[in-house]
Amino acid sequence: MLELEASEIYVAYGDLTALWGASLKVHQGEIVVLIGPNGAGKTTLMRALAGLQPPYRGRILLDGTPVHQLRAHQLVERGIVLIPEGRRLFGGMSVIENLTMGAYAASARKQVPQSLDRVYSIFPVLAERAQQQAGTLSGGQQQMLAIGRALMAQPRILMLDEPSLGLAPIVVSNIFDVLRQINAEGVTILLAEQNARMALELAHRAYILEEGRVSSEGPAQEILQTDHVRRAYLGQVSPLAGGPTEP
Amino acid sequence: MLATGRLLERGEYQRWIRLARPAIVGLLIAPTLLVPQFTDRRDTLNLLFLVYLYVSMAQSWNILAGYAGQINLGHAAFFGVGAWATRGLWTDESVPFLVAFFLGGLAAMLFALVFGLITFRLRGVYFAIGTLALAEAMRITVANLLPNIETLPGPTIARYDLEPRYYLALGLMLFVSATVWLLPRTRISLGILAVREDEAAAEACGVNPLLHKLVALALSSFFAGLAGGTFAYYHVSYYPSFTFSPVWTFDAVLATFIGGIGTLAGPIVGGTFFIWVRERLAVSLVDVHQIIFGSLFILVVLLLPGGLVEGWHRVHRLALRLLSRTKEG
Amino acid sequence: MNLEPVIQNLVFGLFVGGLYGIAAVGLSLAFGVQKVLNVAHGSLIMLGGYVSFWIFTWYGIDPFLAIFITAPLLFAFGVALHLGLFRFVTRLGEEDRIKNSLLISFGLTLILENVAIKLWTADERAVTTSYAGDGLTIEGIAFPYTRVASLIVAAICVFALYAFLNRTFAGKAIRATSEDWEAASLMGINVQRTYVIAFAIGTALAGIAGALVSVSYLIAPGIGLTWTLKALVVVVLAGMGSILGAFAAGILLGLAEALSIYLVGAAYREVVGLVLFVLVLLVRPQGLFGRR
Repeated sequence: MLELEASEIYVAYGDLTALWGASLKVHQGEIVVLIGPNGAGKTTLMRALAGLQPPYRGRILLDGTPVHQLRAHQLVERGIVLIPEGRRLFGGMSVIENLTMGAYAASARKQVPQSLDRVYSIFPVLAERAQQQAGTLSGGQQQMLAIGRALMAQPRILMLDEPSLGLAPIVVSNIFDVLRQINAEGVTILLAEQNARMALELAHRAYILEEGRVSSEGPAQEILQTDHVRRAYLGQVSPLAGGPTEP
Repeated sequence: MLATGRLLERGEYQRWIRLARPAIVGLLIAPTLLVPQFTDRRDTLNLLFLVYLYVSMAQSWNILAGYAGQINLGHAAFFGVGAWATRGLWTDESVPFLVAFFLGGLAAMLFALVFGLITFRLRGVYFAIGTLALAEAMRITVANLLPNIETLPGPTIARYDLEPRYYLALGLMLFVSATVWLLPRTRISLGILAVREDEAAAEACGVNPLLHKLVALALSSFFAGLAGGTFAYYHVSYYPSFTFSPVWTFDAVLATFIGGIGTLAGPIVGGTFFIWVRERLAVSLVDVHQIIFGSLFILVVLLLPGGLVEGWHRVHRLALRLLSRTKEG
Repeated sequence: MNLEPVIQNLVFGLFVGGLYGIAAVGLSLAFGVQKVLNVAHGSLIMLGGYVSFWIFTWYGIDPFLAIFITAPLLFAFGVALHLGLFRFVTRLGEEDRIKNSLLISFGLTLILENVAIKLWTADERAVTTSYAGDGLTIEGIAFPYTRVASLIVAAICVFALYAFLNRTFAGKAIRATSEDWEAASLMGINVQRTYVIAFAIGTALAGIAGALVSVSYLIAPGIGLTWTLKALVVVVLAGMGSILGAFAAGILLGLAEALSIYLVGAAYREVVGLVLFVLVLLVRPQGLFGRR
């Protein structure tokens, strides 16, 4: 039973503290979403969980074991895979080279053909463009490649930082469908999103991060209904005016 | 990188230091003026000459590197041009030495302006290696054009007196150091420092980066040229291409960094240290001094970017803190 | 008009170009992956040359065969250098990293050069094998065995490196790290270890270059700066990130130098390269083959 937990972590960039005692828990099989305004610390929290930004106080626990001292590449071996903000593909490499690099971790490397099959079945467009340079793909295709690349690592928990950034709504909708599908196959998902509505409709649970602190948490549907969220993130004035259309 | 040379403590001590500083400087300089009057020993005068020469080279390099932030690895070329021009005018054209001396500095400066107009189009590390390449090209060219050893005419050798050479080098060192001391007190230095910190931002404020870099370069090269002229005055014979050799750049770089880049005292401390260590070790262990300097240089870059000057300030501050604590406690 | 001396010159330019190429490739690798500018590269070539020389002098092993000893030795030295020295610039931002690694490696050059003087004196050394004077002669043009073998060895090493970088996991990890080290670490790549390996491969290549130099040219403690400059010129000509391009640019430089002696005379041959270097820097900083 997977459990990833950040326990009261403080993370700083140099002298500037970005997270003030943030706590978060993700359980096996869940889709958890992290919403909040720009600069709230969502990316910092994701990076801390992924091992790129170690906390100076607090702990990160994987299945009860402290892992905050480990570095990113070691966490990948333990099944924690982050798709960073902006995707960060290897533009000079081809699609299949990017995918293969995703399976660099020793455990994943033995399963490259099977993993490739799985990724191609989820994203047929990647199979079509296997030899194409990653830098020349469209935004949506790049996001698919980023997810595919992360799947090659056989993640137990897949983390995504702002996957909808710069993408058209229909593409985002497709991506989210894929995430639902992956989750159904057993991968736990944690995502940080600006697009609160779609993310809250996808997720089981949600956390709101504001100014480096967790201000609320709860089931996604509940968070979706709260006044504060509707006003701040969904652009609505009254709960009665809620629903698919915006005022 | 700029160690301000000013200590952050309060009260009387600071005031005392401020009043005492000119006196301290005077006390340090006065003996140097009198040395030749009290000794005829060639080795002492020669040693001090080298100290003054190397300090001057380091100070001149520091103007462009420490204050303007441009690491110029072609500094030797200015030294060489100065030596060439001075020597040529003085021995071949019978120009009075001091005139030839200043013209040598000017020649180096004019050369540097052309050099700078080409190389300042490069940034950062490309500027460093570009200047190195150009200086090497100069050296090879000069080695081909002037392959023969350059020697003073007989009568001049007969009249050779070490004392004026001592005073020339001392005067140069004081001149350069005074200029470096004055520099932060001028308006143009603000622009130069701004360019060093962030060229784009400076430009956005209306500071012309190229102009300011050229001003720093002009000063730097002028003094390097004068140093070359001093060398030409001092040595009876030498190979012209030697004055273009990269060792002149590298020794200046070493001395400045080890002493403390971007400070007034840095090149003085560094140059003195450099010559002292070199001369002490030259007798016992040849070339070990280079290994020592190389290691010190690495340590400075990694651990103590402000060089010995920064080291001194840290020790000084620590001592003050300990003293004030015992006074209170 | 007698073309024979011209062609002979070009042939020699080709051979020396191969050496320039392998020297540049080694420098380019370390810089491309970690943005560490190691101006002591030439001194590492010098060390490789001395290793080759002493192995030949003490054990009589042919320098080309001895490469199997020289390369691993320099590889190990590269690991030590990185762990002991260049590792400390890793934490800095790119611009500071380049500047500081340039300065540190400058200090390193001084140390290596003078340690070499202390250990082996400043005398020039060369490896003279039994077949040193022999070679093929085709249409009146001489192809000395040592030079031909050097070019072949250099080419093999460069192509082997290219294959390594493009066809193996470890090699692709190096490429990924040079593109985006954070993203690489998110793939499970141990970025620190990759830096060390890439740097050590660079020093191993310097060692091989040194072995080749010891056979065809001279080894002395002071050759470091010359070879570093040569390698820098070629790297800038080729542009960063292109291994094959660096090798090609090396050969081009060798040929250009050979031709230039008819234009400016043999004495200014080096100047040609340096001036060309500055021109390329000014006009096309990304080099002839570079991206960016």
